Amino acid sequence: MSAEAAPAIDPIHQFNIVRLGEPFHIGGVDASFTNASLFMVIVLGLISVLMIIGTSSKAVVPGRIQSLAEMSYEFVANTVRSAAGDAGMRFFPLVFSLFMFVFFSNMLGLVPYTFTVTSQIIVTFALAALVILTVLVYGFIKHGTHFLHLFVPSGVPAALMPFIVLIEVISFVSRPISLSVRLFANMLAGHITLKVFGGFITMMIGAGAIGIVAAALPMAAIVALTAFELLVAFLQAYVFTILTCVYLNDAIHPGH
Amino acid sequence: MTKLTDNDQTDLKARLEKLKSGLEAHKAAEQHHSQSSGPKAENMGQAMSLGIRVLSEFIAAVVVGGLLGWQFDSWLGTAPVLLLLFLLLGIIAGFWNVYRIAAAPPRPAINPDKTGYKTKE
Repeated sequence: MSAEAAPAIDPIHQFNIVRLGEPFHIGGVDASFTNASLFMVIVLGLISVLMIIGTSSKAVVPGRIQSLAEMSYEFVANTVRSAAGDAGMRFFPLVFSLFMFVFFSNMLGLVPYTFTVTSQIIVTFALAALVILTVLVYGFIKHGTHFLHLFVPSGVPAALMPFIVLIEVISFVSRPISLSVRLFANMLAGHITLKVFGGFITMMIGAGAIGIVAAALPMAAIVALTAFELLVAFLQAYVFTILTCVYLNDAIHPGH
Repeated sequence: MTKLTDNDQTDLKARLEKLKSGLEAHKAAEQHHSQSSGPKAENMGQAMSLGIRVLSEFIAAVVVGGLLGWQFDSWLGTAPVLLLLFLLLGIIAGFWNVYRIAAAPPRPAINPDKTGYKTKE
């Protein structure tokens, strides 16, 4: 904790991408292994460990890890069934992977000295684009051109139709953007707030005896904010999941 | 051996009564506490996530409308016309998004397969 150094108070520093190891390019695209990649691998490892150990014992009375794995399965399964119906369960592997990845990334990011993968807009946008592309591809394969009825509500006067269709298209295109920006902005804002309050503490302690007493205030704020960030980390993963299910429901049942 | 006199017995009874009423008051207070503050904190989180959802859906639609209009303008060379038109459409789409969130039931609990969704218009 080098409080004297300027980067310690720089709240954006935590989001820097640092290349680890050799530079690596595929067809002109920089695909080097970075700290973001490292934490994605860690997240995947944690999820794999949880699910593999959790499902290995197959006990009737589950142990701690097994009940954790079963709980996460049941939670996501209930979410999918309530938002997209039983037909939505064919997308369960996708939705479960998304939920676990987002949830574990959010939670791991709250541990000090870690990197929050979901605070990078490109990561959340890739996840949202995956969801929307799944909706489009599945919708067109399953329903063909009937899928376009999603943009044509019934019972609209013909004169208004072009405007309504344009509005529906804009509304559809805005979905991946709102889906990705919401998750990214929540994570970014929360982590910057924590860092700024942490910076207050180091600055106040540097100011002398009165500062050390006054530093208790931002410290209390950090404790409260960390608890709040835990709630946000879960809620945003949940919101991402439930909206994924709602959009998939559009692909399964267009034109309502 | 029998040191419990009548006096002691009534004392004991009084103490029991006191403890009982104390326990009941504590239980009632706990129940009241869990009813008032427990779901309240949860509701606060849910309300905040709903608020952020409404905000982001509205802003995303406006931004998409603006970007589409801007891009079409630079392709077709119709400087501000399409930008303004699509910005307006984006704002309408934003309100439409917000309306859909507000008008929809909070959780579509009914199985859509059984509610006639398959009989399409």
